[in-house]
Amino acid sequence: MNQHEVLLRLKNVSKVYQMGEVEVPALKEVSVDIMSGDFVAVIGASGSGKSTMMNLLGCLDLPTSGRIFLKGKDITRMPESDLATLRGGTIGFIFQQYHLIPSITAFENVALPLEFLEYGDAETTVKVKRLFSLVGLNSKMNNLPTQLSGGEQQRVSIARSLAADPEVILADEPTGALDSVTGRNILELLHKLWKEEGKTVIVVSHDLRLAKYARTIIELKDGRIKDVRRRR
Amino acid sequence: MKFSKAFRQALNMVLHSRLRSWLTILGIVIGVAAVIAIVSMSQELERDVTGQFDSLGADLLTLTAGSSRAAGFSPGRPGGFPGGATSSEEDIVLGASDVQVLKGIPDIITINTQISGSADLYYVAERGSVRITGVDEDTWSRVANIDLANGRTLGPADTNVIVIGGRIADGFFDKRLGINQAVTIEGRLFRIVGIIDDQSTSVYMPLDAAYGVLEDKEKGVYDTIILRVKDEDRIDEIINEVEKRLRLSRHVTEKEMDFTISSNQEAQKQRSEMMGSMTTFLTAIAAVALLVGAVGVMNSMFTSVLEKTKEIGIMKAIGARNGDILKIFLMNAALIGLIGGILGIILGILLSGFLPYLMGETAGMMRMFGSGGTTSAKVILLGIGMSVVLGVLSGLVPAWKASRLKPVDALRYE
Ligand SMILES: Nc1ncnc2c1ncn2[C@@H]1O[C@H](COP(=O)(O)OP(=O)(O)OP(=O)(O)O)[C@@H](O)[C@H]1O
Ligand SMILES: [Mg+2]
Repeated sequence: MNQHEVLLRLKNVSKVYQMGEVEVPALKEVSVDIMSGDFVAVIGASGSGKSTMMNLLGCLDLPTSGRIFLKGKDITRMPESDLATLRGGTIGFIFQQYHLIPSITAFENVALPLEFLEYGDAETTVKVKRLFSLVGLNSKMNNLPTQLSGGEQQRVSIARSLAADPEVILADEPTGALDSVTGRNILELLHKLWKEEGKTVIVVSHDLRLAKYARTIIELKDGRIKDVRRRR
Repeated sequence: MKFSKAFRQALNMVLHSRLRSWLTILGIVIGVAAVIAIVSMSQELERDVTGQFDSLGADLLTLTAGSSRAAGFSPGRPGGFPGGATSSEEDIVLGASDVQVLKGIPDIITINTQISGSADLYYVAERGSVRITGVDEDTWSRVANIDLANGRTLGPADTNVIVIGGRIADGFFDKRLGINQAVTIEGRLFRIVGIIDDQSTSVYMPLDAAYGVLEDKEKGVYDTIILRVKDEDRIDEIINEVEKRLRLSRHVTEKEMDFTISSNQEAQKQRSEMMGSMTTFLTAIAAVALLVGAVGVMNSMFTSVLEKTKEIGIMKAIGARNGDILKIFLMNAALIGLIGGILGIILGILLSGFLPYLMGETAGMMRMFGSGGTTSAKVILLGIGMSVVLGVLSGLVPAWKASRLKPVDALRYE
């Protein structure tokens, strides 16, 4: 499982947000390697740049300076359409606010990434059904997001992040909006994905229980990496 | 993303759109309806005009009292009559002396004197207002261009008989009127001998009977004289000849001319010119309506892009390319156009059926539309095509804007 191969590499990455006249430096010269098959926890105080780093790792945003490599390819020099395909096939996102599309059913939400990748209907159905049993939500496939509890919505969003069979799952505070029991279930589900599906998982969380699962802990402070702890 | 999937997303967007978007669709509906109504009406008009042109004799002239220059439009009589009001409209009439003059012109082979007015027609206990035309029964069949659905025209020795328009026979009263049935006009009994194959409410009767029915008409005075000429190719020449002789006998100069003579050819031309400019005017109104509809769609699309910003961010995060977003939003715009177009066509068809009634009998030619159902498949396709193109065009800029949104920015949007 833990192949020692660099999946994501940040090299001297800085991100400066422009707020009108004011420049807000959110990340400063960050360099870090994330290994394939790792379970990474990103921790740090509020405003330390965790979300900023996740967006960059997930190719949702481009750095102000520095390079980001995904499987050896420099994504900062890729055209938007290639980036989109890369996102769709390699990276799965889980958000704190679930971010499901409200007007379509849970099933259709999970199928959507596959539609963007132009999978056939039959293959899509098989995959989506398998994912719903993986996250334990077989009975609610045809519910609209509004007809699901927060925990259930987060399970749907986890299923969606897995749809295109990505190598890496990025989760920015996936338990932030959930109570502690539901939150633990979600964390256990992520752990299962890492252990049984062989995914690389990167999680931002204030949840201290996460430390128990993580193999690598990256701690940010004021936009810089304060510490990287790896278990053997 | 495949076309069919993008279509489903777009359809979903339309179905879940708010009332506001449906109101936008209304803009397109009204525009398309106006276009459909106008186009199908003017198509019908064209058919009608050319039809009449074929059926109306090009060898007929119509003579009426009163100058086209003096009557109505110009504020004062040209030249004027020193000494005051010697001449009012009532004084200018056509009479026996004029007929005498016309009889002296060898190029004229038939002369038919006519008077007209309106009167009430009674059948059993029902009543309706009809247009009465009294015609010289001896020569009427030689100048009248009518298609009879039933019966015969008026002939010599006819007295208390009438020929009626198709609408009086069918649809005017509860019961249909048929040949040999009797009706009462101004207390006199008339027998129906002919029914015209049209939609008019005209009644034709012998001249003498008409003088009895139309009380304000004086015997020996005519409203209109229809002339039939020997050679229709020389019609302009004949008009000049008639004018010259009548001026002489009526003691008027060319400037003071107190009668009007017109050929059917000319009348036809004037009519179609009038219809043409009316159609242009209505088309301009329809175009404005469509433009307003397009602006509405664009506005709605921009708002929709704003509303959907977060969803666009989500879609991009899970692998949507710019092209996918563009596809979805353009298809959404096309769908709005399509729905608007279909509803507009339905409304337009209804409208083109009703408009003639709204305009009433004043536009005489319009009566034909009552029969309705004339919107052609071509017009329907035109309407749908137009609204879809309109939808896509007005959705172009908003859709392009949506597709260029940066995923992080879109996701952060509240
Ligand atoms: N779009 C933006 N525009 C301007 N400043 C921003 C923007 N996004 C983040 N920032 C700033 O960048 C810094 C890092 O923000 P970031 O969201 O990465 O923090 P975080 O570690 O995720 O915090 P939290 O734990 O509260 O989510 C903060 O000072 C924040 O105010
Ligand atoms: Mg954050």
